[in-house]
Amino acid sequence: MKRPVAVVGVGQTKHSARRADVNIAGLVREAVDRALLDAGLEHKDIDAVVIGKAPDMLEGVMQPEQFLVGAVGGHLKPVVRIHTAGSVGATTALAAVTHVASGLFERVLTIAFEKQSEGNAMWALSPTMPFMPPLVAGAGGYFAPYIRAYIARTGAPPHIGPMIAANARANAGRNQYAHLQEPMTVDDVMQSPMLWDPIRYLETCPSSDGAIAMVVASEAAAKKGPRKPAWVKGGASYAEAMWVPGRDQVNPHAGRACAKHVYAQAGITDPWNQIDAAEIYVPFSWFEAMWLENLGFCEIGQGWKVVERGEQKFGAHLPMNPSGGVLCSNPIGASGMLRLGEAALQVMGRAGAHQVEGAKTALGHAYGGGAQYFAMWVVGAEL
Amino acid sequence: MSTLRNVAVVGFAQAPIVAHDAHRVASEMLYPVVRQALAQCGVERDAIDYQTAGSADYIDGRPFGFVGALDVMGTWPPRQDSHLEMDAAFAAYYAWIRMQAGECDTALVVGYGKVSEGEPERILNLQLDPYYLAPLGLGPMTTAALQASAYMARTGTSDRDLAEIAARRRAAAVGNADAQVRTAASADELQRTPWAVEPLRQGYVPPIGESAVCLILAAEGKAETMCKQPVWIGGVDQRAELQSLGARDLTRSASTKLATEKALAMAGLASANEVDVIETLAANPVEEMIVREAMGLPARGETRPAINPSGGPLAGHPLMMTGLIRLGEAFRQLSGAADGHAVPNARRAIAHSAQGHCLQQNLVFVLGRERRWS
Repeated sequence: MKRPVAVVGVGQTKHSARRADVNIAGLVREAVDRALLDAGLEHKDIDAVVIGKAPDMLEGVMQPEQFLVGAVGGHLKPVVRIHTAGSVGATTALAAVTHVASGLFERVLTIAFEKQSEGNAMWALSPTMPFMPPLVAGAGGYFAPYIRAYIARTGAPPHIGPMIAANARANAGRNQYAHLQEPMTVDDVMQSPMLWDPIRYLETCPSSDGAIAMVVASEAAAKKGPRKPAWVKGGASYAEAMWVPGRDQVNPHAGRACAKHVYAQAGITDPWNQIDAAEIYVPFSWFEAMWLENLGFCEIGQGWKVVERGEQKFGAHLPMNPSGGVLCSNPIGASGMLRLGEAALQVMGRAGAHQVEGAKTALGHAYGGGAQYFAMWVVGAEL
Repeated sequence: MSTLRNVAVVGFAQAPIVAHDAHRVASEMLYPVVRQALAQCGVERDAIDYQTAGSADYIDGRPFGFVGALDVMGTWPPRQDSHLEMDAAFAAYYAWIRMQAGECDTALVVGYGKVSEGEPERILNLQLDPYYLAPLGLGPMTTAALQASAYMARTGTSDRDLAEIAARRRAAAVGNADAQVRTAASADELQRTPWAVEPLRQGYVPPIGESAVCLILAAEGKAETMCKQPVWIGGVDQRAELQSLGARDLTRSASTKLATEKALAMAGLASANEVDVIETLAANPVEEMIVREAMGLPARGETRPAINPSGGPLAGHPLMMTGLIRLGEAFRQLSGAADGHAVPNARRAIAHSAQGHCLQQNLVFVLGRERRWS
């Protein structure tokens, strides 16, 4: 990056199954108002707006950023809309960082949202591929075979996924914004109905209404703000082709390449010991074990053992998803930015009841498509 | 404005626009175009360090339509990548910002999607505010007609004026091998076409078609090695406006005006009169007049700068890539590759792109044969 960039404000909505009290603009505006208030800024201070969300079919509005220009304060400003499938929230925040890093913008407002109660996620997430019969199996049907492949490769026992799901729910209980907060045990998860073998009902992300907004700023602008910012130490977004012989959807090449690039920028050589908290994109429980390996936190085949030892729990060596993560709140387009925003809150020391004590360096991560889009950043408490 | 990086368009390829390609899916249409653009630059995909695409899922008729583009963009091994749910011209704008941030030196920008999968007049209704505007049943033709009525009432522009502008674009398109409509039509003929939606006649509205587009950007240092005549970006700016048709003066484009002023200032130019060619995404004669006024030019008349020598959208309008084609056309004009529709001695150009109903959001590139910053 040409110059340092910081997160100076974060705002999110309470995520829930149906926010019947607000329309799409109202939901987005709630997050925007909170982010601006958090940063001590007004719309006039913002130079550009970068918006992201997942497929427009989720709400049935094409390019909704166009009707939301007023709600986000974008009138007569540059507005950019990003869409990179599930990773979009993270890619969007990174695009805002790029805007500031370019030297052309001092403060950029970035927003990600989804109001899934407006439509039907199963339908909207079932793409029709050329030359293939439509599966209409949604994301769970798409990813279950990769999880089965992970289990086959590593010999992981069946309780690993349920352990991850129960831990995420315990974490969400400390996050006032989380959608699902009712406690549940590993046994509860294992008794829940099988949806897409081996993914059970309680190992699946919910469909949520929710939004998050952040203000990212230059060093000079950040130092004028009312709070201690989170500094962006590294960030990147990578993709890989869908139909390539030798692709590995269990341990995707693009995820490894993206992490390597981001760690190099942030000076991280030993992620397991240098990162204090990680918010990673886990829509189905088992992906936490898989991404532990893909992100280089442990050796290949060891991710499930980290989970079994409980080393990724809140208060343990490396808390994963202290907010509860995607398993407890999933406004899809916003989920990636929530990971990045939660990572920022951790290093700002402002994560509330789910604050990881003394967190100085945190990872925010998202993925999307057929495990082909990856976007992540590392944020730090110090410049 | 401090010194920025000189970035140039160094390659551009486009599939000829057709109403419906019955034989190829969108990725098959895109693949040869990516290969052509790389071949123009004399490089393989490994030489490009960033890629980005512009498309819209609703145009492609499925969620994640753009994922299919990855397969033909050379996305293996994995590449640094992004996708904008916008006209691909905005993806080029974003790639330019990345270069200013020092995050890449070269970028592949594609426009992708198969417009014939659906009915644009119905689909683009879904861009409107879902609570207050979309339920009225407005489509891009009806909102454009409302805008045209308002503009004609304000300025006294006549039906004949629209016919004459449309006729000139049709005449220009005869020389453009990639145009969808390459037959000339006189103003008399166009003025006899039935109403599309009054006051716009069928002869004044763009033929919606499909294409595939690939443009390559490179920063100074790389650009000269990839292209004999790089076309340098001297200035660029984009601005959005409120969507609500009642909240803005539809007869003027405040966002085009502001974006043009900012882009010209960045390029060190005082006026749009200093360029030789303007390629604009104005999709009908009234939008063209509004854009020209917003750029500080006479709304009518055919002097310099030349307007849409390619024929512009009235010769073919592949949604979500029509804007990137404008940038590509500016490259063709300034690099000597415009062949049958070349404007003699063109040294500077403006490429204008727009999004949304009634010119809601506008993007302006100012380009030249010379580097902007030394």
